[in-house]
Amino acid sequence: MTVFSIDEVRKTFSNGEVKEEILKGVNLSLREGEITALVGASGSGKSTLLTIAAGLQPASGGKVLFEEKNMTAMSPEQVRKIRACKFGFVFQFAHLVPFLTVEEQLMLMLDVSELKLKKDEQKAEIDKVLKLVGMDHRKKAYPSSLSGGEKQRVAIARAIIHKPKVLFADEPTASLDSKRSKDVMLLIRDLTKTLNITTLIVTHDEEMLSFADRIIKMSDGQIAG
Amino acid sequence: MNIAWKEIKRNKIRFLILGSIIFLVSLLTFIISGLANGLSQDNAALIKDLPNGVFYMDEEAEETYNLSRIDRSIQDEILSKHKEAAALSIQMGFLNDENDKQRSVAFVASTESTLFENVKSGEIVLDRSLEEEGIKVGDTFTNNQYSSKFVVKGFVDQKKYSHAPVAYINLKDFKEIYRVEEMQLIFMPGGDLTLNIPDLQSFSKKDFLNTIPSYSAEQMSLNMIVWFLVVISGMLFAIFFYMMNVQKIGLYGILKAIGVKTSSLFKMMWTQMLFITIIALLLSITFSQVFNMIAPKGMPFSLTATTTGLLSLVFLIIGFIGATLSGIQIKKVEPLQAIQQGEV
Repeated sequence: MTVFSIDEVRKTFSNGEVKEEILKGVNLSLREGEITALVGASGSGKSTLLTIAAGLQPASGGKVLFEEKNMTAMSPEQVRKIRACKFGFVFQFAHLVPFLTVEEQLMLMLDVSELKLKKDEQKAEIDKVLKLVGMDHRKKAYPSSLSGGEKQRVAIARAIIHKPKVLFADEPTASLDSKRSKDVMLLIRDLTKTLNITTLIVTHDEEMLSFADRIIKMSDGQIAG
Repeated sequence: MNIAWKEIKRNKIRFLILGSIIFLVSLLTFIISGLANGLSQDNAALIKDLPNGVFYMDEEAEETYNLSRIDRSIQDEILSKHKEAAALSIQMGFLNDENDKQRSVAFVASTESTLFENVKSGEIVLDRSLEEEGIKVGDTFTNNQYSSKFVVKGFVDQKKYSHAPVAYINLKDFKEIYRVEEMQLIFMPGGDLTLNIPDLQSFSKKDFLNTIPSYSAEQMSLNMIVWFLVVISGMLFAIFFYMMNVQKIGLYGILKAIGVKTSSLFKMMWTQMLFITIIALLLSITFSQVFNMIAPKGMPFSLTATTTGLLSLVFLIIGFIGATLSGIQIKKVEPLQAIQQGEV
């Protein structure tokens, strides 16, 4: 079943009088529970496509349909609500809030997603997810005391704690070494399969492609195959 | 979850520095305001403590009460029509004690009134500050222009004029010392400013205070310092939060990306601003009140609860404006920009 579809999406950047077309009418569908990897050379438009799909920047043309609703026609507040409640994000860097402990990072996400859980339900959910990502022993730790791999695990926990429909991951392993990259990808794969989360992942690391159900190659702002 | 509080807890030093600066600036503001108020009392308590009303002086005196000479017939007419009104004269002068030590005082004489001390000829009622200097009831004073002696009959609280203690004397004695027949002023409690009396100029209490030499210049410069400090504290808030916000641009972007509302980020900043300001103000109020109690007797210092409350409110408003202005950056932050910036 298609959860998410991108229909003839275009993106043009203007630099003075020079206009550069980054996306030239891209079409893409994401199927429920499937991991789709976007690959391509630098400048091929894969990260731009992911950020437009995730509602982090507007498209210059075309439609982004999520649960059959056109996100490009929505108000910024409606898009924010979708990002908070239905989407999860993992970036190249963990981007954790430096003054919150591991469990507080997840509590913040539960608050933002307006899940309206009771305190003890929140705690139980946090414990469960931290166990899933293997970070339950560090729940009182601050980001400054975590390693790069541990931070990324917490970022993944934050991205899935509110049970999003779609997980967007932009180069989630780029700042990690080979072993940690595999661990993180394995974790993303296991979690998204267990929780039936549709995943769109951007990577330039060929090794990571083995974790994807579908690989889409981008070249010069278009789907190349 | 209160992330504003979590940030303060995790970055104690940073917020302690801002709090200390606000504490010092507000304490200085309270102390200068206390001094301004104290000096104002020292300069004009005699007038300030009168009920609201209207002062009249001779139109030809050009707003200088020293030059005012109110015609006797006009004075009698007003006083017969308005029973609560009083005619009065004020002049700076000297009293010599039994050891020939000279003391500067403000001689005040008035027609019979409940607003001023009524003393018999040869008697004098002094401001309490002179009692604190060792003068007692029954002591005698002389004046170079006065043929007899003044006997101290009593003391009154908080009666100062032009930084000198007030000395109430009888009208007859006043006329002898200053060789004048006419009174300088008429005070009508609760009077109507629009009531036009020929040959006389009317003044509200506030306007009359400004005719006292040095009063307005003194108050204006002190109040200017007070308001300047208030503006500085507002700028401090704006600069401090601006710097903190610049450091947190990446963080704000990420929080926006995961769906945190911009208004929540503003609320976080306002909570921190309020928390710091309230703690700093409570401390500076405590310290300034302690200073109020332990200030040396001779220091003109008076800090009322109303002034403290009003200044605290101004500090809160100015802090809010400063923090909000610096928070405009938060509104401008694009989540994408923050993600591309790298680790926060």
